[in-house]
Amino acid sequence: MTLVILLLGLVVGVLVGLLGIGGGVVLVPAMVYLLHMDQHMAQGTSLFILLPPIGLGALREYWKQGQVDLKAGLLCALGMLVGAYAGSLVALPLASRHLKGMFGCFLMISAVLLWRKSQVEGRPSRAAEETSHA
Amino acid sequence: MPKGIGRSAGILAVACICGIASGMFGIGGGVLLVPLLGLLFAFGQHRAQGTSLIALIPPTGILALLAYARGGFVSWKTGLLLIPGVFLGGILGGHLVKWIKPVKMRQIFAGILFALGAWQAFAAWWQ
Repeated sequence: MTLVILLLGLVVGVLVGLLGIGGGVVLVPAMVYLLHMDQHMAQGTSLFILLPPIGLGALREYWKQGQVDLKAGLLCALGMLVGAYAGSLVALPLASRHLKGMFGCFLMISAVLLWRKSQVEGRPSRAAEETSHA
Repeated sequence: MPKGIGRSAGILAVACICGIASGMFGIGGGVLLVPLLGLLFAFGQHRAQGTSLIALIPPTGILALLAYARGGFVSWKTGLLLIPGVFLGGILGGHLVKWIKPVKMRQIFAGILFALGAWQAFAAWWQ
């Protein structure tokens, strides 16, 4: 079981670096299904994993390529600190079952947003911009 | 594209929404932040991802974590075992992003995410 957990961490980490996300969105369902955790427990544990700067190694690679907007990043951090607390107050009193269902809906919305961003990028002007950076 | 103060206020507001999702669902919030920075503020994909990563460096979830911990909803041992893998994998992914065309990969990820979400919602409410 320990090995499964260590490997799961590695797989999620690759996604963190590739997609610039925290990884919780994959960690939570993985812990629910692979480690048979309760939805609240998986979410709390995911927040714990995100506490240390796990994305630091990935960030270094983006920083070297000049792909970081420091000011916007700090603003986002501030907003998320406050927002996350508000969100936890909403989630904790909910029944685990409803929280799980809402999490599922949230994943579907995120998936649609990610997909749409891909399509915007597919336009020729953006494609040209991408290649000029490379 | 909005400029200056308006743009900053907009980013802050978007970040608050991402934060609420973060606390509600125990996630980092990057999965919302990356597409929203791109769609609303015209960030290039790599820049949106890099900016999302820097936003995740400070412990933004700490207040939410404390609330979960008070409820007894944290498995500390599993968390500690997952952290080193996520960190090392992150470095690997940061390197890989230079070689892989991110559009296709993100579409695959979006597909998997959608399926996973549908499965969770179904399992929770109709089983």
